[in-house]
Amino acid sequence: MKKSFKISLKFGLLFIGINLNNNVVISQTLAALNTSNKSNNQVYNTSDNGKKLLSEYLNLLSSKFKSNILFEENLLRGVFVPNNFTFKKEENFEVQLKSLLNSVGLSFKKINDDQIVVFKIEKKGTQINENFSKIIGDNNLENIQLIDSKSQNNTININRSSIIIDKPIKGKIKDENGNGIPGASILIKGTNQGTQTDADGNFSLSIKDEKSVLVISTIGYTSQEILVGNRTQVDISLKVDSRSLDEVIVIGYGTQKKESLTGSIAVINSKDIERVHAGATVSSGLAGKIAGVTFRQADARPGSSASIQIRNMGVPLYIIDGIQQDAGQFNNISPNDIESISVLKDAASAAVYGARAANGVVVVTTKTGSGEVKFNIDTNFGFQNYFRYPTALTDSYEYLNYRADAELNGVYNGGTGKGTSITPDLLSQYKSGTNPLYQSFNWRKYIFEDNANAPMNTTNLNFSGGGEKVNFYVSATNLSQKSNLGNEWNFNRTNFQSNVTAKPNKNLSISMNVNGRLETRTNPGVPGGDDYNLPTLAVLRNTPLERPFANDNPLYLSDLGGHAATNYAFLNEQLGGKFRQNWRVLTTALSIDYNVPFIKGLKFKGNFSHYIADLLYDNTEYTFITYSYNPADKTYTNNGKGSTNPWREREQRKELNTTIQGIMTYDNKFNNHSIGATLVAERISLTSLRNWLHSIPISNNLPLIYFPTMDRYDDRESSEASVGYVGRFNYNYFDKYFVEASVRRDAYYIFDPDKQIGYFPSISAGWRLSEEKFIKNSIIGNILNDFKLRGSYGLLGDNRNIVTPYAYLPGYTYAVSTNILDGNAILTSRDKGLPTNLLSWTKSLITDIGFDFGLFANKLTGSYDYFYRKRSGLPGTRNDILLPRELGYALPQENLRSDAQFGHEISLLYQNAIGNVKYNVGGNLSLTRSMNLLSYNPLFSNSWDEYRNSTENRYGRIDWGYQVIGQFASQSEINNYKVNNDGQGNRTLIPGDLIYKDQNNDGKIDEYDQRPIGYGGTGDVNMNPNINFGFTLGLSYKSWAIQADFSGGSGISWLQNAESRWAFQNGSASGGNLNTIFQDRWHRTDVFDLNSAWIPGKYPANRFDPKTGHSNYASTSDYWMQDVSFLRSRTIELSYSIPDRYLNNYKIKRARFYINTYNLFSIDNLKEFQVDPEVSNANGLQAAQNRVVNVGFNLSF
Amino acid sequence: MKKFIIILVVFLGIDSCNSDKEFLNVPPLNILTQETVFNDPALALSVLGDLYNRAVDFTSLKTGWLSFTDFGESFPSDGSTVSNTTWDYTAWSLYEYGYVRDLNLFIERIAISTALNPAEKSRFIAEARFLRAQYYFEMVKRMGGVPLITKSLVFPIGGDITTFQVARSKEHEVYDFIITESEDIKNSLPNDANTKSRATKAAALALQCRAALYAGSIAKYGAKTPLVSLPGDIVGIPANKSQQYYAKALSAANEIIDGKAGAYKLYNSIPNLSENFSAIFYDKTTSNKESIFVEDFKAYAGKTHMFTTNTQPFSQSEEAANSDAGRLSPSLNLVQSFEKLDNTFSPIETINSDGTPMYYSSITDVFKNRDARLAATVILPGESFKGKLVDVWAGYILSNGTVFTAANSSVLRALPGTTENVQVVGSDGPVDGLAFRTQTGFYNRKYLDPIPQSGTRGRGSDLPFIRYRYSEILLNAAEASFELGDFSKASFFINQVRSRAGFTIPITLNSDNGFNRIVNERRVEFAFEGHFLFDMKRWRIANSVWDGSKMTTTDLRSNIGIATKRNTQPFGLLPYKYFNPGNVNHGKWLFKEVLPGRVTGALNFRNGNYYSQIDPLAIIANPKLLKQPNQ
Repeated sequence: MKKSFKISLKFGLLFIGINLNNNVVISQTLAALNTSNKSNNQVYNTSDNGKKLLSEYLNLLSSKFKSNILFEENLLRGVFVPNNFTFKKEENFEVQLKSLLNSVGLSFKKINDDQIVVFKIEKKGTQINENFSKIIGDNNLENIQLIDSKSQNNTININRSSIIIDKPIKGKIKDENGNGIPGASILIKGTNQGTQTDADGNFSLSIKDEKSVLVISTIGYTSQEILVGNRTQVDISLKVDSRSLDEVIVIGYGTQKKESLTGSIAVINSKDIERVHAGATVSSGLAGKIAGVTFRQADARPGSSASIQIRNMGVPLYIIDGIQQDAGQFNNISPNDIESISVLKDAASAAVYGARAANGVVVVTTKTGSGEVKFNIDTNFGFQNYFRYPTALTDSYEYLNYRADAELNGVYNGGTGKGTSITPDLLSQYKSGTNPLYQSFNWRKYIFEDNANAPMNTTNLNFSGGGEKVNFYVSATNLSQKSNLGNEWNFNRTNFQSNVTAKPNKNLSISMNVNGRLETRTNPGVPGGDDYNLPTLAVLRNTPLERPFANDNPLYLSDLGGHAATNYAFLNEQLGGKFRQNWRVLTTALSIDYNVPFIKGLKFKGNFSHYIADLLYDNTEYTFITYSYNPADKTYTNNGKGSTNPWREREQRKELNTTIQGIMTYDNKFNNHSIGATLVAERISLTSLRNWLHSIPISNNLPLIYFPTMDRYDDRESSEASVGYVGRFNYNYFDKYFVEASVRRDAYYIFDPDKQIGYFPSISAGWRLSEEKFIKNSIIGNILNDFKLRGSYGLLGDNRNIVTPYAYLPGYTYAVSTNILDGNAILTSRDKGLPTNLLSWTKSLITDIGFDFGLFANKLTGSYDYFYRKRSGLPGTRNDILLPRELGYALPQENLRSDAQFGHEISLLYQNAIGNVKYNVGGNLSLTRSMNLLSYNPLFSNSWDEYRNSTENRYGRIDWGYQVIGQFASQSEINNYKVNNDGQGNRTLIPGDLIYKDQNNDGKIDEYDQRPIGYGGTGDVNMNPNINFGFTLGLSYKSWAIQADFSGGSGISWLQNAESRWAFQNGSASGGNLNTIFQDRWHRTDVFDLNSAWIPGKYPANRFDPKTGHSNYASTSDYWMQDVSFLRSRTIELSYSIPDRYLNNYKIKRARFYINTYNLFSIDNLKEFQVDPEVSNANGLQAAQNRVVNVGFNLSF
Repeated sequence: MKKFIIILVVFLGIDSCNSDKEFLNVPPLNILTQETVFNDPALALSVLGDLYNRAVDFTSLKTGWLSFTDFGESFPSDGSTVSNTTWDYTAWSLYEYGYVRDLNLFIERIAISTALNPAEKSRFIAEARFLRAQYYFEMVKRMGGVPLITKSLVFPIGGDITTFQVARSKEHEVYDFIITESEDIKNSLPNDANTKSRATKAAALALQCRAALYAGSIAKYGAKTPLVSLPGDIVGIPANKSQQYYAKALSAANEIIDGKAGAYKLYNSIPNLSENFSAIFYDKTTSNKESIFVEDFKAYAGKTHMFTTNTQPFSQSEEAANSDAGRLSPSLNLVQSFEKLDNTFSPIETINSDGTPMYYSSITDVFKNRDARLAATVILPGESFKGKLVDVWAGYILSNGTVFTAANSSVLRALPGTTENVQVVGSDGPVDGLAFRTQTGFYNRKYLDPIPQSGTRGRGSDLPFIRYRYSEILLNAAEASFELGDFSKASFFINQVRSRAGFTIPITLNSDNGFNRIVNERRVEFAFEGHFLFDMKRWRIANSVWDGSKMTTTDLRSNIGIATKRNTQPFGLLPYKYFNPGNVNHGKWLFKEVLPGRVTGALNFRNGNYYSQIDPLAIIANPKLLKQPNQ
């Protein structure tokens, strides 16, 4: 404070300006001068003994005589008006002023009619400044130069902009209840000076001049800007930020004020995205965040994504910075670079995307720079562990004991088993553990726990700022994620984002957005399709009897008795091979905005974007040798059960996408009528090139591919094109009544030329009842600040996955297969069959009705939506005429079937503060279901067929199966049971086995006894729960803050199967451990005594790897079908921001530290099965979600 | 400012250079027009290549190992068929007219092509007609009479659908069509024993021969199953036609045997007769004059198969790490059908007449002096593959008669009275229920590729699948001669095949032994070649062989060589080492006949299985189709 004061004394001139030509300003300035007097007294405290400061007095005069009096402040510092001086109204102002100034050794010069400059009379030498006669100044008198008429070298320069005073001001930032807000930031606009409030909400700060504007902001409140004027005490009440209605949100091809929205749009912004450190991709951080966006992440391996859908309508369309992109692009933007994500859920908001918008649209906007130049670092480091994973036996004795039990249950009562070779004698040897062979091995520990705390870290650096001419945001992010399978299983991604806007003049701006990334997935080369399958399967497949190395010698891989593939010991880059997948992606977008002068509100915008994605995929699977140890002569022999099959493949892809858009917008207001219009023309072309080749290398030591070892080469190229025209018109009256209409005309290459063009209109309206006088002036109006009713209706389409390209063309497809004729390989061709030229896009009619509201001074805000999507024109085959099979072709598909998706969603947010404690509570809930409507004249052979197989007017996603009404308690109960429960006269049944309900009472269990028992979802990672919800709690006190997010789902089913349905799956393939959930099972007191008494348990008696060979396991039943409901903690974050007073000395603007968890706990009903509640695999074995603990910090300079 | 406007307009104008229609016109890169295809012989051949690829075989290396299982002849590793008690009526059904349509289109379009020369055209057309006849044969042998569609048809929207509903032809009309078609085209096809993957004159004659033989036997033996018929001979062939068909079969066979279709002969290149028999299937050189028509494969060229990967012995599997091997275990039922070299039938001797076990010094002794084809069809315990011993034995038998074994060869155990842990079961099994190891004591040998890496996923095998081979022509001729009453000619033909298998004493067929001899000869010669089921059907003995009754060991050991011998469950033969130190038999081998644990069903061939079901929806679409009998 002192420092800066000195500086300003040295260079400063006090400037007091009065503009004579503007009455309004005069009165304001005068008033300001009055207060200024008072405050000057306080500050300088020099008005003692009744003396007046000359500077104050001059101010007074300047107002009286309507002249600006300019002086260097140090001239007047400590100078008082002489006691004998009195100002006489009737005398000449200038004469009196001269007399006053001369009495203290000063003089002045009038530089024009209303500006006077005060200076010091130098009495010595030639520099008698009375001689200043020539005045040079620019038009605005920003710079004034006084020149000595006798000596041209003697000048005084006065720069008005450098006229600075350090004026101290104090203040208090309060909430609506008058309580001080601690930690609020106060920034002088246009500078990087600022401070924070203390614990009581007080602050002090020095400003340069009265034109300074303070920007006051703090989390949870709306920011305010205050013109200081001549005040020295500024008390400000902040309003709680209730998602201010002035908020501008991103919509299709533009932005719109939230208050004028008539469609259903949910928005999430950067703050909420950045806090989540769940995984590597954007979607993985969206659980429960957005009302109406359903979420499920069954697989959370490094680099994986969650399935997100809008209202469960299917895969949405993604728009990133205005360009149509795919889910992979969306997922792999750096979350740090996202400014906001708008989710367009209904017809009104999505129809501008026409033929691809039927499943909703996700619009992503990346950050832009503004204001002061800032440099941010955001980094965090996390540790991940599988949230849950099934456990298996780890003790050989226990394993054999359970296995004997299971094997003997098989033969009991004429079953299908084969008895057991395990004897009580053998068991006792394992129990005593004396034989070195009778050890145990814990595979789960070897594979997962030894690789616990898999690291994941992200660092983002960005540099942003902007002014009138240029805005920029430049960012780089690196993310590295490893797996619980080890450090060689990893994902790494580096993102670059550069958004630069130049404004050559006030009507034109040119932006260049460049987004690039390098995305790498690496892991050992693993035989089979999914490389994560074998190591995760190994946990349950390998038994405690099996050990990774022959004789525990790490030089000799064991074959595990013939399933070496699940020997985790070779699943590394040295022995197994290498898998590398690199995506390199670059999107460049140029856009030009032009505001047409003379026509207010008319703008043109042109966008050109090119996207190139390059995939380089390299996979090598090595051969390896397994050994047997021969204890007799202590030798190891290659037992030939390793792999002699080297596999080498490479895939290269290029995706090239060019989008060109021309956009015209018009927005204007005439009295109380606001109108807006948007016209868009858009062309999108996409080219995709791919080649894949395979070779059989002759040695593991050859990383390159050589032609003689190549045996396959696939080459593909395809292109797409679409053209769209959009028109949108909106109107509102008094910001109270809103209507909007839009239409898109889309054309897509994939359909028959006569079927390529489609029109997608929508209409919507909103009514802000809260603006009506009868509400506003009523008692309701006191509570209800805001209430808007809105509704929309429109037609959308979907042209994806409807028909294969060129199905409308006749001809022959070349290269459908390979044949060997006369020893030569011939690529073959096939007739394409009858052209499919009646098929076009599906049509979706979406109705959405909802309202938004704010209560109690917008402390409680929320919204509700009901929606119904009727989709028609789903592909189907006409069956009015049944073509005889003998014709050899079927009728081509047409747009025939229909279905619906409908539901409700609600979101609420409450924010408030009590003293220093700020808190917020928010939540959202959405319900959605699908229903099949017409399936075009379905044919049924009988009423059962219709009951079982019809889908018409029924909920979609239904699982069918038997209902279990209990378990047999004794053999006698089985013997007396009248219903043929197992299809074999009940002779395969033993106590504990499942009893199926004989729905039709025909004495036997067969397909006629099946009923709907589940909601679907098993085995389909893209099926999300019907019910989704999320809520968030936030609490902050001074520099500390806690934020907790939760999300959950219901209305989805998990069907236990294989490893999670029966004991010792894969046992017959010489592996197969026991999932420990089956320890709680029906069994005999003595497993070796078939006549001993039964002890009840939860599960039926175990059988050894029965697969579907027993009635318990053969059929889907509600015993194995679990209706999943879960609530899990997502991000829980504790953060501390270092108060500014400690940071100022280091030029740090912001320093925030946090510790953050993801998936800390879950309340759900799948815990008893040891699987994650979002699991999709029926066997429960998959690289499911992690529990993550992160530490990190943000720094801004 | 103006210049900015100009820039903007130019910029927006870039994509207006061409019209939307031009912009949306994105031509495909791999679609050829009909004109292009049929005026370029290379492209016409590419269409024909697809039609060859779509030819249907009952057992096929392309469709996989499972197609070689079932019928009591083998145990499949997935246990799929051995728990069956019967077959669905839909089993073996084939009714795919899309293929027929594409064949007809090819024949019609090639005919109007102007750019191909007449020789090319006539060969192409003959090949497509051959494939069409071949396909109708595959249909008729499964479905009986089917609609004969020989022209491509398009139903005009709004037309009368009933005129497009074609009724089933009589069964013999379909056979007649196959016979006359093959007769018509045979001279348009090459007369060349080295052309094997495309149709030749010999292939056409072989088809004609087999089809005529089938028709003749259905006519003759149909009388045994009077229920298996439909009015109007839609299924079933009048008995009076049998002789003419047998005569046709014999004349077609003779045309090949007489060398009029190329220089075909039995493969006889390797002194070791078992190896010689195996080599028929893997020798792709021109010295193989036995195979007539094959589906060929080629490594490093994009067409290979996984049969070797799937069925190779576990211990030398090239994909053991990925769990693939030993999926097909031939049954003891099949093994014991191979005669002893003195032309007698005998079970594998495991017990003395007093019921005590027989002890053998060598594991292979028990199979001594049998048909050379046995060791070429299955890998016997103690035999080698690719020069390496296949380690098949089920464990030890202790002095008290109990079995001492383990759940896996990698589990070592100390034998009673010893302290050292040793292997107690063969590394190739058998362990009951243990996947990828034999379940019967036998591995499959036929079609196994001896070339290194042919058992890997990466390379795969390119061993061809033989559809017709010379030995079948001989056995067809033998059967036709027999049915026509010419026993000496029949003996002459059958003994050529037997002699190649190591039989030095010729047999003489007569009316008593002839049928059984012919049935058994075909069973052992053509094991796993896709004949067994259809032979059983055409002789109308399928319902006897698979009568749904479970088998005892006594059943198994009796009536060997009798055509109607029950074959409902696949048995195994487990070799054990005798462990009784001090005993004279210590260390010797003994064998036990067992039924693998997962064999729970007993196959039952019902009358409704003689002709496979026509999809009820096909009947709804074409009410003129008659439903199959007994379904």
